[in-house]
Amino acid sequence: MVLSIFKVLWNNLKQGPSTDPFPFGETFTPARLRGKVTVDPESCVGCGVCATVCAGNAIKHVEREDGSGKDFYVWHNTCTFCGLCQHYCPTDAIRLTNNWSTAHRNEDKYKMKEHEFIAYARCSECSQPMPHMPHAMLDHIYGTPTEELENIYSLCPECRRQKAAQQFGAQIHD
Amino acid sequence: MSNTYTIPVGPLHVALEEPMYFQVDVKGEVVQSIEMFAGHAHRGMESLALERNFFQNIVLTERVCSLCSNNHPLTYCMALENIAKIQVPERGQYLRVIADEVKRIASHMFNVGIGLHVIGFNTLFMHAMEVRETMQDLKESIWGNRMDISANTIGGAKYDLDDELEAYLRKTLEELKKPVEEFRHMYATHPQVKARTQGVGILPPEAAVEYGLGGPVARGSGIDNDVRKETPYAAYDKLNFNVVLGEGCDVRSRALVRLGEIFESISLIEQCLDQMPKGPICCDPLPDIPAGQAVARSEAPRGELIYYMRTNGTMYPERLKWRVPTYVNWEGLRVMLDKAKVADIALIVNSIDPCLSCTER
Repeated sequence: MVLSIFKVLWNNLKQGPSTDPFPFGETFTPARLRGKVTVDPESCVGCGVCATVCAGNAIKHVEREDGSGKDFYVWHNTCTFCGLCQHYCPTDAIRLTNNWSTAHRNEDKYKMKEHEFIAYARCSECSQPMPHMPHAMLDHIYGTPTEELENIYSLCPECRRQKAAQQFGAQIHD
Repeated sequence: MSNTYTIPVGPLHVALEEPMYFQVDVKGEVVQSIEMFAGHAHRGMESLALERNFFQNIVLTERVCSLCSNNHPLTYCMALENIAKIQVPERGQYLRVIADEVKRIASHMFNVGIGLHVIGFNTLFMHAMEVRETMQDLKESIWGNRMDISANTIGGAKYDLDDELEAYLRKTLEELKKPVEEFRHMYATHPQVKARTQGVGILPPEAAVEYGLGGPVARGSGIDNDVRKETPYAAYDKLNFNVVLGEGCDVRSRALVRLGEIFESISLIEQCLDQMPKGPICCDPLPDIPAGQAVARSEAPRGELIYYMRTNGTMYPERLKWRVPTYVNWEGLRVMLDKAKVADIALIVNSIDPCLSCTER
């Protein structure tokens, strides 16, 4: 009916504009909005799965030459906000915030990045650098890890092998 | 001397959604024959897909098209799951259906709205867009983006619904029913809409079969053809829904089929929410993909979407090929545009819901 169109128009007049008053007011930003990426260097193990799945190659892991750790870069202008990194991250270290504000001046384009330093742990025996194991990850694998397990994970792979061989040898000896 | 002359429509035409060039031979204002030229939106995506690993391709296929952007990764993932024999958890399958149907509602509303814009009825067009906006807000709230919802991943769904979002989804769908019903009533009864759309772009059922058309274009001519019914994927075999059919074979019939499908989609989502079990949403996150080949198909908002994939045991596909619904549907334009008025060309082209970024990719 022609009349129902007038009803729509009348309702529109009563309701006022349907658009948000942005930039002079707030705009609709739900909690789950996929926006800029942040990285928590504490829980990151530097496994690199995020860089593998990243569709736009926005994530770069660069080893430091002194072996102290790796630099973690996320380029916001290359990111497609797909959320695959968040989905595949085993320690929930990388996640998407609902901050969608990416407007910037052209001269700032090389500053539009997230940069974190993922420090390596030191082996408690030989003090070789090695990727650190966050506590949350141990809990995830073992439930509540025993003290012995935690000691094992404070060793580098080489020392861990030696210790395991020693324990095994001691068992045979007994 | 012949009294026909040739006019160009497109590639950048004010009323076409996307670039496509029609060379139309007209006699007076009646179309005698058309020639279609595609290729203006080619981006080389099938080649790009070979340079990206399986995970990156989930995102690449989502960028093929914005309106059916859920069906592309869904079908891609289904093809990959067929190769690797991955069983998607039940909850993951229901979540896939929910994402698919929400996208379908938004896509159909958009197409019917654009059809009204083409005939110059901008008030109702803006109203359609406003009704659709509730779906956009819904997508933004649940999946975090208005168009590329990124709901699928290899082996399941990437998102989960908590109680709060489930209640929000139910409430939004309940609130959507009345405006869509009113909108459908206005579309069906408004005399000017009727005058412009009835009897325009006739597609006889025999021609639809002959050209192998699918989706709402074929269903608008009474051809009962829906991939969701015929070879159910995801959780469609556990859900009840009707295939909406039209009898008019014209632009109006195709639009009314789309509007009818919105109600079926709402009912499908509600059934999903009722039946969905608790449990995992996704299988082993990093599956091994062996060498092999597979085909998967699904019902996109525009019709049947087919993916073919061949793998060779590495992380990269050896061949990825997709056949999109518009590729078959635009051949139907030869029938629909025959003896049509010049002023109706854009309207008829819009009625097949063309997606050229899919077709030319």
